Amino acid sequence: MPQIFPRSSNFVPLKIAIVLGALATGAFGAFWYYWTPKYTRVGYQPAQPIPFSHKIHAGQLQMSCIYCHSFVETAAHSNIPSAQVCMSCHSQVQKDNPKLAPLREAWETGKPVQWVQVHKAPDYVYFNHSVHINRGVSCVSCHGRVDQMDVVYHAESHAMKFCLDCHRAPESGLRPLDKVTDLGWTAPTKGKQTKQQAQLDLGNELKNQRGVNPPVSNCAGCHR
Amino acid sequence: MSKRILNHPQETETGPKYWRSLGQVADTPEFKTWVAREFPEGASEINSETSRRSFMKYMAASAALAGLSLSACRREEKNLVPFSRGVEWSVPGKPIFYATSRPHRRGAQPLVVATHDGRPTKVEGNPFHPACNGATDIHSQASLLDMYDPDRSRHFLNDGKVAEEKDFTAAIEALLKGASDGSGIAFLTEHFTSPTFRRLRDELAAKMPEALWAEYEPLGGEEARVANEAAFGKGLRPIPNLEKADAILALDCDFLGFDEGTLEGIRAFSKRRSPEQAMNRLYVVENRYTVTGGMADHRLRVQAGKVANVARQIAEIVGNKIGDETLKSVVAKFPQTPAFAAEQGKWIAEAAEDLILKKGAALVLVGYRQPAAVQALVHAINAALGALGSTVVGRKTSGKPGATIADLAKGISGGNVKTLFILGGNPAFNAPADLKFGKLISSGSVTVIRHGLYEDETTFSTEHDEHGVETARHFVKWHVPAAHYLEAWGDGRASDNSILSQQPMILPLFGGWSEIQLLNFILTGKKSDGLDLVQATFKQLARGIDTESWAKFLHDGFLAGSEAKREPLALNAAPVAELVSTYQAAEGMEVVFAPCAKVDDGRHANNGWMQELPDPITKQTWDNAALISPATAKKLGLEAKQGNGVFVFDNGTWLTVEVNGASLDIPAIIIPGHADDSVTIAVGYGRTFEGRVGGREGNYMSHGGWFAQHTGVGFNAYKLRTMAAHYIASGAKVRKIDRKAYPIAITQEHGALEGRGADVIREATAETHKHEPGFAKDQHWLHQHGAMDAEAEERDKKGYPVPKSSYSHPELTDKNHQWGMAIDLSACTGCSACMIACQSENNIPIVGKEQVIEGREMHWIRMDRYFVSDMNAREDKTVNISEPRMVMQPMPCQHCENAPCETVCPVNATVHSDDGLNVMAYNRCIGTRYCANNCPFKVRRFNFFDFNERAKDKVFRWNLINEKGMADTLKMSKNPNVTVRMRGVMEKCTFCVQRVQEAKIAAKVKAKDTDKVQVPTDSFQSACQQVCPTGAIVFGNLKDPNSAVTKTKDNPRDYRLFDYIGVNARVSYLARVMNPNPKMPDAPKDAIMGHSKGGHA
Repeated sequence: MPQIFPRSSNFVPLKIAIVLGALATGAFGAFWYYWTPKYTRVGYQPAQPIPFSHKIHAGQLQMSCIYCHSFVETAAHSNIPSAQVCMSCHSQVQKDNPKLAPLREAWETGKPVQWVQVHKAPDYVYFNHSVHINRGVSCVSCHGRVDQMDVVYHAESHAMKFCLDCHRAPESGLRPLDKVTDLGWTAPTKGKQTKQQAQLDLGNELKNQRGVNPPVSNCAGCHR
Repeated sequence: MSKRILNHPQETETGPKYWRSLGQVADTPEFKTWVAREFPEGASEINSETSRRSFMKYMAASAALAGLSLSACRREEKNLVPFSRGVEWSVPGKPIFYATSRPHRRGAQPLVVATHDGRPTKVEGNPFHPACNGATDIHSQASLLDMYDPDRSRHFLNDGKVAEEKDFTAAIEALLKGASDGSGIAFLTEHFTSPTFRRLRDELAAKMPEALWAEYEPLGGEEARVANEAAFGKGLRPIPNLEKADAILALDCDFLGFDEGTLEGIRAFSKRRSPEQAMNRLYVVENRYTVTGGMADHRLRVQAGKVANVARQIAEIVGNKIGDETLKSVVAKFPQTPAFAAEQGKWIAEAAEDLILKKGAALVLVGYRQPAAVQALVHAINAALGALGSTVVGRKTSGKPGATIADLAKGISGGNVKTLFILGGNPAFNAPADLKFGKLISSGSVTVIRHGLYEDETTFSTEHDEHGVETARHFVKWHVPAAHYLEAWGDGRASDNSILSQQPMILPLFGGWSEIQLLNFILTGKKSDGLDLVQATFKQLARGIDTESWAKFLHDGFLAGSEAKREPLALNAAPVAELVSTYQAAEGMEVVFAPCAKVDDGRHANNGWMQELPDPITKQTWDNAALISPATAKKLGLEAKQGNGVFVFDNGTWLTVEVNGASLDIPAIIIPGHADDSVTIAVGYGRTFEGRVGGREGNYMSHGGWFAQHTGVGFNAYKLRTMAAHYIASGAKVRKIDRKAYPIAITQEHGALEGRGADVIREATAETHKHEPGFAKDQHWLHQHGAMDAEAEERDKKGYPVPKSSYSHPELTDKNHQWGMAIDLSACTGCSACMIACQSENNIPIVGKEQVIEGREMHWIRMDRYFVSDMNAREDKTVNISEPRMVMQPMPCQHCENAPCETVCPVNATVHSDDGLNVMAYNRCIGTRYCANNCPFKVRRFNFFDFNERAKDKVFRWNLINEKGMADTLKMSKNPNVTVRMRGVMEKCTFCVQRVQEAKIAAKVKAKDTDKVQVPTDSFQSACQQVCPTGAIVFGNLKDPNSAVTKTKDNPRDYRLFDYIGVNARVSYLARVMNPNPKMPDAPKDAIMGHSKGGHA
């Protein structure tokens, strides 16, 4: 009786195993890539054309965020300062520092400095800075301790879950309006209260006082 | 749970029947398909040369390529580029609004333009200017896209070769050197209202006294000027004062349309249209349905050439009954006209009686396309009716008339004109055919310097061989690219003669010059930026200029107090009598050259929004056609189909129209309400320039190429037009030709609602409304229609079952905001401006003719046009397809609180928001189209292809063989606050959610530490509301007791669609109230127009 299966079929199980293995590796890779902080850009820290240090400006010199990011209170977009803003100090201070050469060039030629974007919302997300700042959500909630960063990096994930966690429990982030740009501020504790509990107490109080009701299941709040 | 059984109101056998097309009347199989399906059969198939097999190949290939290019998955490094130096007022991401104006032959439009980061993105009316009240017309909305048109002229051309600006200036200097007194020089311009243009023209005319100044507008009002001059003397023109008029008779006058009407007039008319006040009454006599005819309480269809006969009969009756000797003597001079048939005669007599009854508050309007004699006669009627000073007021005209294009043509052929400057316009395309203007300017006897937005028919003419292949091109000597009005300094005069500012929103995209820059260069030899020219004019007009008054002028957009005062009018009987005696009667078949509601005189032909907008009446897109009545179709031997006792005809049969010694092959549309023995053809189509939207080779078209047929763009009616027969040509010969029917993209049956017209449109007479203001309420209405049986009533008491989604949806929890809309059907004319405003605001793509035929058009608002015929009016109970009434209904997403679309979405992509919007999360949508299938209003639109990223004739092709991408300038035109949707995504009206969110955010920003987060009352508008010239659309916050929408919804006329299925729509309509005259022969037989049982006081 002739053999039913040809000789080559001996290798079929091996082939199947190799293909399955490749598929599994691929699937694992995809999961690893898309569902880890690497994909959500956490830790992204590109080199900038000018080694600007937020640590010096916002940390040591205690400059307000809004001095440079001047439209953050009025517009959806938080602007990167123009060379003019930098030059209002650096025409006097550090005016010959070679690291600032690109800045002086921009000021003289009118060709803007090409800063590298760190934080990026997708095109289908309409994030609005002004409404968060004016209602007492601090910069630190999304951007981390920028005042301690020599080179800015992506501190939080900015995935949709990150937004929703806060929108579902706005008390976790609400502050008095004058503390919004004070990145190191924490809610004052009473007695044996933990910091977290103090924030929740204050946050709940502010939430009621301000009637805070951020879009949670209203998709159109962010997606239009 | 048992299946819900819904008792839809049955269509009644008697009473009015609401229908959209002849196909519906005869219940043809094609119509049934449109009713039964959201999209027609095969709409979701790919019917292209690309078969499924080759599709699989491409897909496999692209998958392989994707593997190769995995490296592209790395995060792209993107840069943030701030300004080097801050720009005043500029806040990145925040729009800045500038007042400006759009030049137009009948008065510039006062506008406010939104610019995002230096790009104009949306045009609105100037709310401070009394002539527009914040409303706009279709063409102002669409002019934005004209500016970004990638086909615009980009270069100076010398004999067709690209040249530098400095070559041009040198050449002009050389040209003008030998002609300081202007002999041999001629100028041909459009009708510019700009004071600066006129100042420069006068200065130039003084410097060059011998130069010839001609003016040409293909849709100008030469006849009206002659009649006005005869009746009221030089420098005065009559303006209708529609707010005062109780009875209006419009004789071939489309005063609610955007060609003939003004926003001022439309608003004034609609103010008197609400039945809550004393309503006006409108009689219309016209040859074809216009939006004005649709608003008429009584309408008489007669040939355009027979309107004179109606005018004469009215004049006779008015003269005799009032005993006005002047009018009697004028009528006696008007040549005798044949009498009308009995019923028409009665119509005319009763209408005249009504006008006489309302003497002092009566008004007769006449169209500018009628002969001057007829217009003069109407002025005499108005004088007899005591209208002068009350319903007709005088206004001074500005500027003196120049030479005509015929004078210019004579000058060229006589050799007197050696150098011709053409500023704007497109005379080679649209000048009267008997002048052969295109031939004249390319004959070589004249040096032509042409200033225009496009390299079009005037820039070069082409020669073709017998196959329609281009063999040669003849260019004018110089072509100068024009700057769009949004790119240039200027000024203008509005319809009320007030001075408007015009400021640039952006530097000229393609380096164009404005008209005043060119004139100034000819005058002074210097190139100005235009600002100093306008300021110099302003200095003269405003009697002095300081920084403050100039800044206020720019800020407000107009000079307050500069509008023309009302002047007293007195009729000069003798010149009128002389003018009317010149009237020549028209006989036989006529051809009427009508302005197009979309492309105007052809200038917007390359504007995709305009081409794809369904015509307000015919609902045709991408083409024009010969409009004929059903009776004429029968007479011409068109193939008829019978159904329900009526004969109907398919559109698209080819006709040859011969008139004025020329002939045109054009497909026919059979349109109800059209006069018999009359053919209407819209001008402005059949362009042959190289526009990728609106231009095609005309010869190719007549050879019937597949491509040309499926991309459309129409047929050139200017070929038939002569100096003498400019608007109405009689003695035409029309015959059917045997050729395969032309595919016509007509949307009248798209989104048909199962013949529920009698339910969705609710109407009554003013009389009924007075006794029974709540006639349109659901219960009442359904009872009247016999649709509320016992079972339905029981269910009604128990409450409606609420459809449930498998996902949890937010309840309507927002205590501060719940959004709603109300649309007043009494005010809506169906002009379709809302559709274009919506398209501009919401980045809605165009899809092309072929896709429209498949039913894939993307407009978020569907303007439903219904014809209405009274079934009781006829003994045999057939539908009167010749003389129906017309009703318009704008149909946006109804934002049902219990939305049927939401319950069927498998991925929760369409959900409710807590403030009552039915929203789409585009990123979640996987394109099952279940929602569209379940939508009772058929308002959802699906992106079958990447309409935004691909040319309209290449949407079928796949990534590998077709370039993707949008022209850079078109990218700039998009609203940055709205997602540009891609293929496979469902979309629909969002109630302008971006504006809603902006307003809510602004309120929260302002609230700071407090809880005052409610949006201030009526502080923003939806795009459709903002544009609406009649104020028919009201949008706002239902939780705000002071908002306009809350108040409007309290009106007893308010009703919602399909309330009996429990959808709880957020859009409601105010029932339409008409004010018919019971004595008229065509008065409705029932008191409630949609009433089958009668039965009330």
